Amino acid sequence: MKQTHADSLSARIEVSGLVKKYQYQPVLDQLSLTVEDGDLCVLVGANGAGKTTLLRILAGLVRADTGQILLGGVPLRADPGIRKQIGYIGHASLFYNDLNALENLTHYARLYHINPLESTVVESIRSVGLEPHQHKPLRTYSRGMGQRLAIARALLHDPAILLFDEPYTGLDQEGAAFLDDRLRRLQGPSRAILLAAHRPQRLLQIATHIAWLREGKIVQHLPVNRLSEAPELRQYLQETA
Amino acid sequence: MTYLQTVWQVFRKDVQVEWRGRQGVPVMLVFALLMAFLFNFALQLSPDLQAGLAAGLLWVSLAFASTLGLNRSVSLERENLALDGLLLAPVDRSAIFFGKAWSNLIFTLLVALMLLPVFSLFYGQNMLKPGLLLVILLGLGAYTSLGTLLAALSIQARTRDVLLPILLYPLALPVLIAAVEASRGVLSAQPLGELRSWIFLLLACDILFTAAGLLFFETILEE
Repeated sequence: MKQTHADSLSARIEVSGLVKKYQYQPVLDQLSLTVEDGDLCVLVGANGAGKTTLLRILAGLVRADTGQILLGGVPLRADPGIRKQIGYIGHASLFYNDLNALENLTHYARLYHINPLESTVVESIRSVGLEPHQHKPLRTYSRGMGQRLAIARALLHDPAILLFDEPYTGLDQEGAAFLDDRLRRLQGPSRAILLAAHRPQRLLQIATHIAWLREGKIVQHLPVNRLSEAPELRQYLQETA
Repeated sequence: MTYLQTVWQVFRKDVQVEWRGRQGVPVMLVFALLMAFLFNFALQLSPDLQAGLAAGLLWVSLAFASTLGLNRSVSLERENLALDGLLLAPVDRSAIFFGKAWSNLIFTLLVALMLLPVFSLFYGQNMLKPGLLLVILLGLGAYTSLGTLLAALSIQARTRDVLLPILLYPLALPVLIAAVEASRGVLSAQPLGELRSWIFLLLACDILFTAAGLLFFETILEE
């Protein structure tokens, strides 16, 4: 069988000199960031700071103007197979409203060539507590149910690199606790997690690192247990609480 | 996953969504039938003129109906940003183009097959001819390939609903002219050999627009 980059990818995100402009306005300006294997890095920043743009670039959904992105030491665009190691949650669920949960996840499982397909999909739906609703079309789902299924989709192929953009949006207390628990279990060796959050307080209990995105650059990036060394960031976090 | 498996999966998903939602083919068919009906009663053509104009009216109906289908295909992928889900998958993105172009072609062909007996009835000639079916296949193949590519281009635009027809109709003119001329020739019992140049033009458009999709689809979709 042909060996692809994706098969041997380690969990490390390395971004350097990233620039992205929209209509000549720089959103990301020479941004550099490294998320090591085993890290759960919370990306904080005000609305419009460029968190979503950064995550979409890392997911391969948006093309950067310049800069280098290495996932496990391999350039992001070297091989489409690298995307098999990326799990992404964005602002929308990425599902088809006319299909039910089972059909939607089966569609993705086929694209990711997951084997065994049926049992993986069923287990994935069960793991997010949506088994009783798996035959209902997505249009009948609440925002929180859609977000739970989006989590199942992002983890379906057991990716090494997780990119979560405001994953708590729409989740009720129970859903948020469920996500906390999932993140705790996901965090560890052979996985790098970059999670954008506008209000990151609850994540500080789980995260290993925090990165502050401001004016298109990472102005602070440090372990959470050294947060006391960054008074400006601490103040920002207090203001957003 | 092989290239063809990806194409098949995207195609299958589109058919599944259409089967569940039934918002594409029925709307296209009703629209095309309404156009056939309106042309027939508004123009009040003599039998001689009807024979000459049937091919043109058929293609106008098909082009407009197909554009509706292409718009539906775009809105399907915009809903919940489902297109992002396809782009995230570890597959060659040009395979997504082929999957979507084929589903658009099959849906439009279905509408065409249901439209032909109605046109036969309204315009007093048998339109279920193998030669005409070949022209329809080639013409719609080129039209939906180009349409799928332009639909991808318009997906990011704020004015996407009007952008697609504005881009599509001028660029599809060679396809529509060749398809109308070839169809008219088939309906007036000209041998296919005499229509070679139109059929070759359709074939060339098929190849050109398919190649354009293969080359540019990924670039067009990325912001």
